[in-house]
Amino acid sequence: MKDNVIIKTADLCKYYNNGAIKALDGITAGITKGEVVVIIGPSGSGKSTYLRSLNLLEAPTSGEIIFEDVEITDPKVNINLHRQKMGMVFQQFNLFPHMTVLKNLTIAPIKLLKMSKDEATEKAMALLGRVGLADRAEAYPSQLSGGQKQRVAIVRALMMSPDVMLFDEPTSALDPEMVGEVLDVMKELANMGMTMVVVTHEMGFAREVADRVIFMCDGKIVEEGTPDDIFTNPQDPRAKQFLQSIL
Amino acid sequence: MPEWLNKLTRDFNTAFVVDNRWKYLLEGVQNTLILTFFALILGVALGIIIAAIRVTYDKQYHLMKKGISKFLLCIGNIISKVYLTIIRGTPAMVQILIIFFIIMASSSNKMLCGIIAFGINSGAYVAEIIRGGIMSIDEGQTEAGRSLGFNYVQTMIFIILPQTFKSILPALANEFIVLLKETAIAGYVGVTDLTRGANIIRGITYQSFWPLLAIAAVYLVMVMFFTWLVGILERRLRKNER
Repeated sequence: MKDNVIIKTADLCKYYNNGAIKALDGITAGITKGEVVVIIGPSGSGKSTYLRSLNLLEAPTSGEIIFEDVEITDPKVNINLHRQKMGMVFQQFNLFPHMTVLKNLTIAPIKLLKMSKDEATEKAMALLGRVGLADRAEAYPSQLSGGQKQRVAIVRALMMSPDVMLFDEPTSALDPEMVGEVLDVMKELANMGMTMVVVTHEMGFAREVADRVIFMCDGKIVEEGTPDDIFTNPQDPRAKQFLQSIL
Repeated sequence: MPEWLNKLTRDFNTAFVVDNRWKYLLEGVQNTLILTFFALILGVALGIIIAAIRVTYDKQYHLMKKGISKFLLCIGNIISKVYLTIIRGTPAMVQILIIFFIIMASSSNKMLCGIIAFGINSGAYVAEIIRGGIMSIDEGQTEAGRSLGFNYVQTMIFIILPQTFKSILPALANEFIVLLKETAIAGYVGVTDLTRGANIIRGITYQSFWPLLAIAAVYLVMVMFFTWLVGILERRLRKNER
């Protein structure tokens, strides 16, 4: 990979209504291997759209995305293979309600990576142990709390041994007392060297864990830098105003 | 014994007991159940195909590259829509007459004609039940499946359809019950179903009272039985989810 850049987007645009609404307006950015990038910004700024377009859940209108030296925006590319390497965690958890926790975790590696059932189960139990949920393997998602669901969702993505993890407001749907347990898992993941792109409103997390913070507004990257730069000394007036209103 | 009661008993005797006329009803029940059962199987098969085409068109068409599969999907979707419009827009009775006397006029197997006619009719309703079921599953489920690397078909098979099946089972069972009652018109084209059985008895005995009340009761009992079964099924499915 060139300069260890794992994901690169060049002039990425996403328009709705034939360009009347510009959710993404020319985003050029790169994410380096092992880096934790936190994207912040007011609602409607396009940060979730940007994250979701990285694995093409959202199809960009123009521009290109290069993931591990492959231009995945090329229509000839089999995106399913590349998505296996990009774990994604959603605001609404999106666990499969008709499967037990264990089945939620093992179905993708078994079907897609041709892992044996025993091997997948072993891996799932090990990871569940890491997030403190080994005893809930046989539970159904409806029997879990929000924080537990999100931890399972993180493990589900990790089961595919991804090269990068995308987090789309992972704590926004949680009761306040459950935010911590999910952030702890994410911190541990960051400490292990996982490449992470995180859209969040948890400024404490951004400050503590992020290597780089990107501030988005109106579909553009307005400012980026280390957490210190962004939080203590923002330059752009919109960033200043946003940070004042939430801190 | 008062005279009216005497007459009722005599009539009952004439309607069912003499010449073993109750056998018309027994045969009728059998044929009604056979007709309903196989028509529903055909209807579900048709419904799955139509629903698959319609849902794929709605969800995937705008993402597909130009080519033969996109063209086929477009044609399939048009055919499905025409089929749904015609079947849901004309009376079942008319459809059955058309199948019997025009499309399958050369066939002498009336039961087969009936199964095909009711199957095609039921397929349209089943298709919409299935499509509604798939559409009711949260989009996040599809996104979760796709983000793990499953393709569209795998996501459908492993994640969406199992959830759909659970949620539409009561509606499908209800369709079975509706179909069971609707087959009463099969007698008009010569299938000896339950209603036809009663009409045969009426033709022989010139009495309507007992045969008609009897088949009404039989239909009611069958429907109540299947409703009860559906209730058990629903409760068991719900328990599974917890």
